Amino acid sequence: MTTTTDTAVSTAQRLVLDRLYKTFESRNRESFAAVRGIDLDIEPGEMVALLGPSGCGKTTTLRMIAGLEAVTSGDIRIGETSVASLPAKRRNVGVGFESYALYPPLSVRENLAYGLKARRAKNVDQRVDSMAQRLGMTDLLDLRPAALSSGQKQRIALARALIRNPPVLLLDEPLSHLDASQRQHVRRELKVLQREFGYTTIVVTHDQLEALSLADRMAVMDAGVIRQFGSPDEIFDDPDNQFVADFVGEPKINLVGGTVRIDGDRTMVHIGRAGELVTASRIVQHDQQVTVGLRPQDCRTDVSPAAPCLEGEIKVYENLLEFGQATVNVPGVDDAMVVQTPAGHRWTRADPIRFTAAPERVYLFDTETGERLR
Amino acid sequence: MSTELLPGRRRFTLTSVLADLALLAWFTFALFPILWMVLLALKTSAEQTSTYFAFSPTLENFGTVLSARGTELTSVDFTSTLITSVVSCVGAVLVSLIIGVPAAYAAGRWKYRGSNDVMFTILSFRFAPELMVVVPLFVIYHQIGLFDTRVGLIWVLQLVTMPLVVWILRSYFQDLPEDLEQAALLDGYTRRRTFLTVALPLVRPGIAAAALLAFIFAWNNYVFALILTGNEANTVTVAITKFLGGGGQAYYNLTAAAAVIAALPPLILALTIQRYLVRGLSFGAVKA
Ligand SMILES: Nc1ncnc2c1ncn2[C@@H]1O[C@H](COP(=O)(O)OP(=O)(O)OP(=O)(O)O)[C@@H](O)[C@H]1O
Ligand SMILES: [Mg+2]
Repeated sequence: MTTTTDTAVSTAQRLVLDRLYKTFESRNRESFAAVRGIDLDIEPGEMVALLGPSGCGKTTTLRMIAGLEAVTSGDIRIGETSVASLPAKRRNVGVGFESYALYPPLSVRENLAYGLKARRAKNVDQRVDSMAQRLGMTDLLDLRPAALSSGQKQRIALARALIRNPPVLLLDEPLSHLDASQRQHVRRELKVLQREFGYTTIVVTHDQLEALSLADRMAVMDAGVIRQFGSPDEIFDDPDNQFVADFVGEPKINLVGGTVRIDGDRTMVHIGRAGELVTASRIVQHDQQVTVGLRPQDCRTDVSPAAPCLEGEIKVYENLLEFGQATVNVPGVDDAMVVQTPAGHRWTRADPIRFTAAPERVYLFDTETGERLR
Repeated sequence: MSTELLPGRRRFTLTSVLADLALLAWFTFALFPILWMVLLALKTSAEQTSTYFAFSPTLENFGTVLSARGTELTSVDFTSTLITSVVSCVGAVLVSLIIGVPAAYAAGRWKYRGSNDVMFTILSFRFAPELMVVVPLFVIYHQIGLFDTRVGLIWVLQLVTMPLVVWILRSYFQDLPEDLEQAALLDGYTRRRTFLTVALPLVRPGIAAAALLAFIFAWNNYVFALILTGNEANTVTVAITKFLGGGGQAYYNLTAAAAVIAALPPLILALTIQRYLVRGLSFGAVKA
């Protein structure tokens, strides 16, 4: 195991999670499987965003990689080494804690230096200064953590994780408490640093924009399993299942019931009382009940008179300047559907509206399993 | 005057006045015995039973207690019992801290099969009646030569101080965010370094509070010292009662003077570490 002791660029390492399981045993409660078989293969120097609802096991996964939580089964490899049974300090993983983990009696400078001194690093002061400069916090160096806002603490926690140049970096919601402008600044700087030093990085985030801007690939997690792992384009444009389609995307995807109609070599899906859309799905049968996913952004309102489409009536129209957002009642569909409209036209309540989408953007999901029917 | 309750400004309402009066009444009740003891300590033998508040005060009793005359009356050297008390209580607290602080850390950080039972056993030393264990201890102490020695006293006072230290400090360690230590572990520090440099400094106020409390409990202990020591290693608590005389004359004023002297060391100690104490008793946690 190599231990980086100075400023040298850390050599990027591949990070592999192999059927990773974590079950929490406790005496009074039933044992709880927080992580249920995670496979991830992260390239050296790659940045992966980990998304998922609260409680799905993101933090638990990071803690296992860092060595703060024993794995129940499965393996973790950094480079060629299996680290699953190594103690935390031998894994050389940097962690940005959700709770900041700043040491109250020490100043910010001492907090940053403390992490370096453990491995007897050289020119500690210089490294602290340069990191502080890059994250725009030179003015905070002499303060105690108690005197900082949560946004400032978060930046320092990030600096603390970065300063050792760890080959593997794990960040748990690193930007959640920053205000909008700081967030952009720190996000950019994080990306630059990550590219420069090539840390293999997993960043947990709730913010999809953040995931998009930072990550090379995204992993969407639910109830202890990875539901899809791929580039942001794949995740957004080609979701593997209903959960992923529903979880990513803002505004949320419309999910409505539908019935498949095969019409020659066209696959149509019948929605509500009279709506019909063409879909690119092929592995479906005539009359099959499906769940149809249609993103508001994918909707077009310039529909030629005879073309298959959905028809409805405007319930609410919101003008969002660059585009409009119409909430539409479609006859025979229980929930109102959301449609993004071009900025030019302003709709008013009760206006009739017709909309459709490109066939490859009309996703069909199995009503039972939620798996994508392609 | 505005009726709004501003921070730092008090509003006088019927309830708050009544609450203050009740508090005052309680204070008077609680402090009266101490006042009485101090007054008695300042009275001459002639006045001790015949006056209440009007008398001519004298410091003579303190001199008597600490001098050879006191020793003559009680056959115990009060000054040397004071030293025995200080030595054995400080010793007991130190031993309790040296062993109890790491024990409390371990108990606060790790759960293992039976960890609760171990903690409960430690606590049970505290609520088991002292008289129950003192008889077998008396026999054992005689056999291994610890009877009437300061070392023996330090040893037995652990039963009083150790549970306090472990239980108080365990909750302090539990309240420390574990992330702090984990961050240090990830940085490459050893468990021991992490404990010494991260966890320990943060619970200093707790250590001060626990140490003081343990000291006071040890200082006030009577039964162990009474049974397990003879004339060599008597403590002040035992020495005080000797002025009441065993069958002979009871010197109430001397007893009071001895009690006043005996109350001073814990008082001085409490005042010295007061600064820590307020923090130690009011904050369980150290917040980042
Ligand atoms: N030490 C533990 N003992 C028992 N259960 C735990 C423990 N730690 C976590 N869990 C459970 O494991 C599940 C996953 O927790 P985890 O902290 O990994 O979620 P998360 O995805 O990070 O959520 P969030 O987005 O809210 O931070 C939760 O249901 C949690 O209650
Ligand atoms: Mg979490």
